Parts: sequence; C-alpha cells; structure tokens
Amino acid sequence: MARALADDETLDEVSDAPRVRVVITAVADADLEAAMAVVGRQVYEPAPDVVVVVVGEDLDLDAGVATAETLEEAIGSTDSSFDYVWLLHADARPRPDALGALISEIERNEASLAGSKLLKAGTMDELESVGGATDVFGEPYSGLDEGEIDLQQYDVVREVAFVQSASMLVRRDLAQGLRGLDPLLPPVAAGLDFSQRTRLAGGKVISVPSSEVYHQARCGQRGKGWREQAGRLRAMLIAYRPLTLLWVVPYDLLVSVFDSVASLLLLRWQPLVRHLLSWIWNLIHLYSTLRQRRRLRSIRSEGDEELFRFQAKGSIRLRTIGEEVSGRVLSMFDDDQALARRSRRLWGSPGIWGAVVAAVIALVSARAIVFTGMANSGLSFPFEPATVALERWFAGWNEAGLGSSAPVHPSVGLTGLLSLIWFGAADAARALLTIGTALVGIIGVGRLGGRLGLSGPGRYLAGLVVIAGPGTAVLVGRGSWLALAAAAFLPWAVRATFVHPHEFGRSRLTYVGWALLTALVVASFSPLLALVPLLVVLVWRLFGGDRGGVLLGLISVVGGLSGAAFLAADPRWVFDGSRAVYAPVDQLWPILILVGAVPLFLAEGRIRTVGLTGGVIALTMLALARGLALGPGLQEAVLITGSLGAALVVAAALDSFSRDPVRLVAAVGAAAIMVVSLGTVGNGRLGLPDGDLNERLAFSVTLADDHGPGRILYASVDRDSIPGEARSGPGFWYRLLDGQGTTQDEVWLPERQEGDERLETVLAEIGSGAELRPGAALAPFAIDWVVLEGPTFVLDEALRAQLDLVPTPLDPDSRVYENGEAAPLAGNDEVTWTRSGTGFSGDRTDGDVSIAFNHGEGWEPDGTRADWSGSVDGSPGRAWYSPQSIDYVPPGATLALLVGAIGMIVWGRRRP
Amino acid sequence: MKYLGVVVMLVAAVAATFLPAPDPADPGAVPATEAPPVAICPILQAGERSTSVSVLSSVNGEGRLSTFAAGSETGALDFRTGRLGAVTIAAADVGAVGNAGGLVEMPSETTAAAVVVAGPNSRAAESCADIPEGQIFISGGSTAGGELFAIQLINPYAGEAIVNLTVTTDTGLESNDQFNAVVVPPLSTITRDMNEIIPGRETISANIETTRGSVLAYGRLTSDGEVAVWRAVAPGDNWWLPVPEGAGTKQMVIATPENSEIEYQVDLFGPDGYVEGHDTGVIAPRGRVVVPLAAVTEGAAGVRVITTGPVVPALRIDSPHGLAWTTASPVDATVWLLPGAGAPPEGSGSVVVLNTGIETVTVSIRALGESGPVRELEVDAEGVLVADLVAADGYRVEASGPVVALWTSEFGASRSAAIGIPLQDG
Repeated sequence: MARALADDETLDEVSDAPRVRVVITAVADADLEAAMAVVGRQVYEPAPDVVVVVVGEDLDLDAGVATAETLEEAIGSTDSSFDYVWLLHADARPRPDALGALISEIERNEASLAGSKLLKAGTMDELESVGGATDVFGEPYSGLDEGEIDLQQYDVVREVAFVQSASMLVRRDLAQGLRGLDPLLPPVAAGLDFSQRTRLAGGKVISVPSSEVYHQARCGQRGKGWREQAGRLRAMLIAYRPLTLLWVVPYDLLVSVFDSVASLLLLRWQPLVRHLLSWIWNLIHLYSTLRQRRRLRSIRSEGDEELFRFQAKGSIRLRTIGEEVSGRVLSMFDDDQALARRSRRLWGSPGIWGAVVAAVIALVSARAIVFTGMANSGLSFPFEPATVALERWFAGWNEAGLGSSAPVHPSVGLTGLLSLIWFGAADAARALLTIGTALVGIIGVGRLGGRLGLSGPGRYLAGLVVIAGPGTAVLVGRGSWLALAAAAFLPWAVRATFVHPHEFGRSRLTYVGWALLTALVVASFSPLLALVPLLVVLVWRLFGGDRGGVLLGLISVVGGLSGAAFLAADPRWVFDGSRAVYAPVDQLWPILILVGAVPLFLAEGRIRTVGLTGGVIALTMLALARGLALGPGLQEAVLITGSLGAALVVAAALDSFSRDPVRLVAAVGAAAIMVVSLGTVGNGRLGLPDGDLNERLAFSVTLADDHGPGRILYASVDRDSIPGEARSGPGFWYRLLDGQGTTQDEVWLPERQEGDERLETVLAEIGSGAELRPGAALAPFAIDWVVLEGPTFVLDEALRAQLDLVPTPLDPDSRVYENGEAAPLAGNDEVTWTRSGTGFSGDRTDGDVSIAFNHGEGWEPDGTRADWSGSVDGSPGRAWYSPQSIDYVPPGATLALLVGAIGMIVWGRRRP
Repeated sequence: MKYLGVVVMLVAAVAATFLPAPDPADPGAVPATEAPPVAICPILQAGERSTSVSVLSSVNGEGRLSTFAAGSETGALDFRTGRLGAVTIAAADVGAVGNAGGLVEMPSETTAAAVVVAGPNSRAAESCADIPEGQIFISGGSTAGGELFAIQLINPYAGEAIVNLTVTTDTGLESNDQFNAVVVPPLSTITRDMNEIIPGRETISANIETTRGSVLAYGRLTSDGEVAVWRAVAPGDNWWLPVPEGAGTKQMVIATPENSEIEYQVDLFGPDGYVEGHDTGVIAPRGRVVVPLAAVTEGAAGVRVITTGPVVPALRIDSPHGLAWTTASPVDATVWLLPGAGAPPEGSGSVVVLNTGIETVTVSIRALGESGPVRELEVDAEGVLVADLVAADGYRVEASGPVVALWTSEFGASRSAAIGIPLQDG
C-alpha cells in the first residue's frame, strides 16, 4: 500500500504514503541538532513529524520543535493520523533513504517492528547490528565477528528475535499499546524487551539491512555492562509465562554461577560483579517488573513458543566461555587458528553443553579419587603388576582363595594391558581408568543417543545415569569397580550395533570391527553384557526403530568370547543367587522411570522409540533383579542394563524442550532420575565406597615372619563387610585374602575345590567351639591372621577360649588374631619360598616344597598331590604353573579376535 | 506396538515395585556350641607344697596336661586314663613352678579333674573346672587373726583377659585400684594377695566379673601353715551340701554378691531326719550369714540352701585335723566323680553321700586306681552316708537316685574337703 518515494515518482503519487512520526531520544553527549538535520534530509514524503524526547535535560532547541518528557508521552501524544513511529537515538545518523527503506519493507512484510542495520559511526562500515537472535536468557547473538565489515553479506530482510532501539520503526498503534520502550532499560535490552513484547502481541519483527544507520554508540556500551545484563534479565522476567520462568530462572542462575566461576579462572572478575549487580538490580525493581508483566498480559496474544522460535539452543554465555577456553588451549598448537575456528562450531552444537555439564559433574564426583587415590574396599582392589596380571590372564594360576587352575576374571587381562600401557604404573592406571570411565560413559550415551537420532544436551546428561543410575549405583555402592567400568563401556557396545545414516555405504568391516572390539571390552568387565547390544537392537526394532543391525548384535555376542572361559569354568557365577551381593534396587526407581518413559509414547518419532526402548529395558531389568535371586554375573548384567535403559529414557525425555504437558511430565521424571542418580555419586568417589582394606590389613606384611605374608582369614556375619566374594560358613561369611594385599584378580573366588571343602570343615569345627587349637587347624592353609569384622558372632565366642590364636589389637574396627603356627605358602622345614610372578622361588632344597594351594596338575617341577594341596621338586629353587595346552585356547582366541577387530576397523577405514 | 511397550513397562514397574525382594543370602545355621572338655586347675608348687592333678574318666582316653605361667606354657604331658579311667600326675613332672595354672584337656565330657595340694602339715583339694559364663563369686576369705588370703586369677587361653573384682569385707565395699580392670595376660595367673591390699579384714568375699577373655578364680586361705583352696563359682539359688562328721567347727557361710536383701532357708538332713526350715533369715546386700553346723551334730549331715536370689554357700571346717573349705553343689546327680579322693598315706579319707531324694537309694562307691574295690551301700531317703576311702587316684560314686557327694581326707594336722563333680549324663 505505502512505499518510499522513488526517484521517478512525484509527490502526488505518494500522497497516500504512510505518515511517520520520528521520536528522537536525547542521548547524553550526542548532537541533537545533527540528528534532527539527518532526519530532515530523509528522502521520504510526507515529511515526518519530529518530536524530541528530553529525558530530564534542558536542551536548547529551535522553536517549533515538539518535545516530550518521556518516550511514553511522546508516543501517547501521537495522533491516529500517523501510521508509524520511528524511534531514533540522538546518536544515530541514518542514511537519507533509511526511513524509506524501513517503511517499504515493513509494509511489504506486513511486519510490526523493523530495525535498521547499524553501522559503527567513524569506521569503514563496520557492522554493529543487523538484528539478531538470543538465547532463552536474552543474551544477544548477532552472529557478527568482531570488526566485521559490511559487505552487504547480511542484506536480506528476515525475521529476527530482536532489533536494537537505536533505529526502529514500529506501528503507531502497537507502539501506543506497548507504551514504547521501557525507560529503565539501556538501549540493547530496551530493544530486546520491545521486540519480545511486539512478538508476544502478535507482531512480526524484522531486520531491514537496506535501512542503514550509523550509530555513535554514545547511548551505551554496545550491549555490554551490567545494566544491559540486568535489562536482559528484566526483559526475560517480563516476557515469559510463569511455567517458563519456573525453569528459566534457576537455569539462568546456574549459568551465572558457572560463568562467574569460569571467568574467575580466566582471571576476569567483572562477570561475577555484573551477575551480582544484575540480580540485585532486578530484585530492587521487582515491583516495576511485575507491573510491566501485568501490562503485557492485556495485549498478549502469543505464547512463549513464539519467542523460542528465534532463540538459539543452550546458553550463548557458556558457549562463549567454551570457545574462549578451547581457543586458548588450541592457540598453543594452532598458529593459524584453524582449529580454534573449528572448535567454535563444536561449541555451537546443541549437545555440547550437556556433555560439558555432565563431564564437570562427573569430575566433581570423582574429586576424592583425584586427591586421595582409589579406595580399596568392597569389590574394588588394586591391579596386579602388569606382567603378572597378563600372565595370570593368559591361562595362568588363579590365586584367589586357595587357588585354582580356573581362569581369572576376564577384566584381569584388560587391566594388565592398561597398566602396561601406563608404563607399569598400575595404581595410576587404575585411578585414571576409573575417572575415565565416567567420561567414557557420558560420551558413550551421548554418542549412542546421536546414533538413535537424538540431538539435544539430554543425551550427554543421561550418561550420568548409566554410571550412577538405578542398577549401577547399587553395585558400585557395594564397591563393584567392574560394574562402573562395564556400565561406562556398554553404551559404546550398543552404539556399535547401530549404523549412522551418514555412514551407510562405508565398509562393513568397520562396523563389524567396532561391534567386536566394544563387545570384547564390555565382556571383559562383565561377560554377560555382550548379550545386551543384541537385546537393545531387538527391542528397538520391536518399537519400529531402524538403523539397528541384528547381525551386528550377533557379532557383539561373539565378542563375549573374552568372558566365555570364565563363565564356563564357573557357571554358578551366573545362576547361584547365594553368591551375589545383596543389592535390592530402591522401589523409587521404577516409579521415576515409569514417569519419565510412559509419556514418551505420545511423543513423535525417535524420541518415542528411544523412550519406549529405554523404558521397557530398564523396567524389565529392574523387575528381574527384584524378582529373581540371580547369580553375581547375571545380577551385574541385569542391573547395569537397567541403568542403560534408564539413561535412554532420560536422553529421550531431555532431548529438547517442549511445552507439551506430556513431554513436561517426562522431563520431570527424567530430571528426577538425574537428581537421584547424582545423589549416589556425591561421595566424590563416583559412588564407590571409601576405605582402604589393604592399608588396614598392612600389619600382615609388616609383622610377617620369615615365611613372608601368608593368608588372612576374613570373616563376618555381615556379608557386605567381606571384600569381594564371600563363602558361607556355619553362621557367618568368610573368605581368604592375600596377606600381601588383595588385588583385583582375587575379587571373585573360583569354584570350591578339595582345599576349600577342607577349610570349611575346619571352620565349622572352630565355630562350634570344639577346637582348642584353631591356629594349628588353620596352619596348613597358610593362614597367618584371622580377622573378624562387624558384630560379634559365633567365631568370636569360639576364639574366646582357645590356645594358639593370639588376639592382637592391630585394628580398632575388627578383631585380629595372629596365628604363629601357619605354614608358608610355599616351603618346607628347610626353606621358605617367596612369590615370583604367579609362582614361587627360593633356595634350592633336596626335598619337596609344599605349595599351600589347591592341588593343580600343572604345578612344576614334578608337581604331586599332597592331601588337598600339592608339592613340587625343590631342587630347581622355583615353582611355576604350567597350564595345559587347551587352557591357552580361550585367551588366545580372545587375542585373535581383538587383533582382528582392530584390523577390521583400520582396514575398513582405508576403503572408501 | 507402542501400546505393547506401555503395557510391558507398567507390568514391569509393578513387578519391580511390589515383588518381594529376594532374601539376602543366609550363611547357614550357627553350629551348636561344643566346648572342648577342659578343666583349669590352680597349681601351687612352692616351698614344701606340691600339687598333683588327678583325672578321672568314664573312658579310656588320651588327654593332655599343660602348665603355664607368665605368658607361656611351662610344660605339657600327654596322658591316658587307662582301663580304670584314672590317672594322677605330679605337677612337678610337667614343669610347674610357683603359682601356675594347669589346663587339662580331657578325653571326654565324662571326665573330671582335681588338684590336691599337699605339704608336710597341710593338705587341700579342689576340683578343676571349665570357666563358667558370667560372674563368679567367692566368699570365706579373711586377712585377720593370722590368716592369709589370696585370690588366684587364671587365664589359660591365648587372649588377654580383664576382670573387675568387687570385694566386700566386714568394713563394707572395698575400693582399691588393684581390684579394677585387672589384666590377666594370656597363659598366666595373677594373684591378688589380700593381706597386702586389705589387711585386717575378718571376712572377705569377691565378685569377679570378666569383661574380656576368660578367667577362673580360686581362693587360697592359709592358717597356721594349713592351706585351703576353693573355687569361685557362679552364684545360684538352690544348693546342696553334704557335711562330713567330726569334731571341731563346721560352719556354712552363705554370701551374696547382690546389692539387695535376699531371703534364705536352710533345710537340714540331720540326726533327727529331715528338718525343713532349719534356719531362715535375710542376707544383707552383699552380705553373708554363717550357719553353725557343728552345733547341730558332730556326725555327718546334709544341707539344702534355698534363696530368693543368687548366693554361694561354702563349708568351712576348723578342726584339730586342720582347715578345710569347699563350696556346695548347685545340682544333684546319680553319678559323681571324686578325682583325688582317697586316703593319703598314713592318713584317712571318707566320702559323704547325701540322698536328696525321698526314696532309699543304692550307692556304688568305686575306687579308681591300681586297686579298685567296690562297695554297694544303701542310703535312706534324705539320709546321709559316710564311707571310708582307701588310697586311690579318685572315686566314682554311682547311685540309683539323685545324690550329692563330698570327700574329705585327713593327714596329721591337715585336712581337706572337696565337693565332687557330677556327671549329668552318667
């Protein structure tokens, strides 16, 4: 209808053009007359009427220039003959065609508010603003680089979240309805506030780059400073509905804290002060803010979604910090800033802040490990020296309890390998691996979520649930370090069975290699978890998901070979419920998972599929764990899988924000799962229990006689007091510990053998009180010490009246008895041999040397049975265990698979 | 399919919430306690006094006597009770010196042991016993009138023991650091010489509470060179006591560790037959009463003590033949072992059997040793039988009904008395 005056048009032809009133806001130190002059040079007819807003200043204006005390007064006094109001700062210098362009585009686009392109005055067309987006907190995001020159690269009219108040054209009726700019706000925040209110009133906000205005920026600090920040917070408080404010305000508070802390670390104190002042200012002006909200309510016609449409995901402030940190780090190696530029893209990814927040939480949750090292308790003990661990894993002697030729837990090989990689520093490798598991789990779930089609930050936050969720927390809380590691690597194994659409067509060898490799690793930590990728794929497909490869799931099952020998040697480890730790899952978990998962079935697309898959898996696993007395292996796998399911539910529910009430319920459930999960890792050890049993029992080394440290009989009526697996005795639990310190390979005890049966008989006799000399009875088992833990029980009573176990007050938390008659682990009347690798060595002797282990056929040289134990020829001065050829097959096959998997990955990547 | 997923989730959630959780694994039943058959003995091997340990058993089995002092075993001797089921071992043969402890590992539950401490002018006998649960109590000591009283605390086991002694005398409750938290090291004996700690007390009783480990206590009273040894026992409210015949002073001391008044009743099985309520009264808190038995009869008699609270009655015999102490028995039984019982060379001995039943019983008294004469005698209902003893390692008394047996021996100016050891299961 209306348009600007073109060169070839006459005044008559444009007599029906819209009438504009220009409202110039006085700005301190700005030349008002110059501003009025450039307005007067505008090529637009009818010539606009000008009114100057004198905000409390006594200006020397020509007669005939209308003035107003406030912007609201100026707008309110604009009669209905005017169609538009051009709000202009006195420090703005529009080009002559600026107004015409604004009128033209606002009419053409049927917009309500249009902003000019702002160029910095006194520069070579350096861009200040072309409108922009914000994040949910109102933090402006112009998309402009510092010092970016206007090359007309942004010259396209587009809808934006806000335009700056330095030059904005607004419909007169709307301006009067909105009562102009908020006088309490500085320029950028005022523009943001006005733009948001315009949009909520049903108006369209556009940026008109063809309307160029040079801005001297005397009105403010280009959006910086605490007043702008306070203004943005006020704009947010005015615009959003209560439900949105319910989560935005706490979120903003968190971001403020993070921004302040991170800035302090970067040696900047100003953000902290800005945040403090901002919140204080808003508290002071809270009444005024509430009044503005009431005003807006009367003209509001749109929901907050209208604002969300033009907002960037996540926090721009946090993204900036991330860019700065990574930029600083990368600049050390990156002279041309190529990496730094790429990192900016990374920080722009919607999931990255979920990953960062989750990683920070994980690191905070591991703080005690960082500062004091790993605890040795429950089911978590130091790694053996790398070479010994690898020797033991490769069909070596299993030293747990009274020893066995049965394979050690498959994790021993992996931990040995890691120790070897870490230059043999087993303790450092253990601590790093433990801390690393948290990060591996977080990234794993994030990447799995990505494969399943999720993109939001929730998928990374959900990583915390897999390491601290319903099942894992119970196991880790009882000291299962293996459960923590298995839970962390499981998402990677599951991910390997899903193929990303971008990767279709790539070599299948790569997929197979990854599926094998990840399953081998996971099965090393928890053998039965090798079945889970296939399970997830099947459930996923059941609910209509694609990308999941059943074949890859089956290949993952093959990866379970790394734990197969261990399972075959001790099948009761899978099914015997009496061997499992008592780990009932809190009844709160199923309810939370249900709240998080069920609403997702009303969602669309992948969120629904992921939610249903996770919910079904989590709840089914928790039901199995509760209803059945599972063996340790099955219990471990079921509980960890339950956590993975819960993590998928959280990832889906928190993938993106939605005002849909159903999705909100799911988000609340997911948030509750997160909160409860975080509670379990709050001890600073990722949920692992505190304490150092090896340190408590170090007396067995320091007080060892010539025989060296033998074994410790550790007994209690409290199952949880026993480190690692416990055997049931008559009325109490017990197990044998290595006197020189328990290691991770000894956590699980092999199947009972003759020596174990004999020991049980002896303990029954001692427990009955009938044995007056229990030390002598325990001596053949090389038991140097008896440690009774927890409440007093039958053994305490039995050992009250006996002759040869000397009570020794070495540990205030338990009752310790020394056995002065114990036989050495290896030796005879003449010599005592000490450990050497997985065997023993010492002085040569003509006679046989007894080995206080269950008899194994492979002991050399010339191993013979001596009752339940064995002996070897002492003449060479050493004893070693030589497995049968067939015993090499499982570890050999595992190695072959490992090498094959790596080979397939490498080979597959080379092929297009 | 999504509805199936919801159904599965709901069902699983209900199961995971409401199914009963599996019970925690049970380590199995606590085994029945079978304390090894042991007896702890006081050994006095000093000056001219020597100790012999007699072991009687109903089986021909192997056992072991070990002596210990100052934290270590001073000697050990394996023995066999033999066909006759009796053996006597001189403590000197096991390396005991001074105040020591002895541990008898007995071949069966039906075995008993006792010590006989003998000197030129003294003789004492007391049964050895396992350490009872809870508190034990001893009364009858005195540190006045030239009497010497000591309490010997014996810890035969590998663990340190700590005991608290609550000592009550005629002056009231004694307060002394040497009675509190007395540490008895493993394989050691600790002697508390009361004449050093609380001299001049007419009557002494001590309640011994073990707070850690295991301790057995014996009292040793020396008067004019004669010695008496008797054991601290767990207090009870029903006691039997056969009283030997003979001139002199025979008195029963009933004492209580309780800090409250206790009513008592003494029934007498005397020359006039059974006299119910021969003596009744009230024992003051932590007090004692003395029942003069010699005033009733010089002949043998029997006593039953019934109280409303825990007490320990003990018999003191002062006669020209010497001093003797022994405690009453809380039970009656059909079989009694009297280890050490017998007539010393050039001395005499007797057994006193009290029929606690209301029917006449036949009593078989068998000497266990190289010669083993057996006598079959009848004891009237609620009557008392006295039979002479010959030299032996000990005696076994079997009756057709419940009885209580006590033996005494005399040699010159020395005398001993010791209650027998009942075998509940024969």
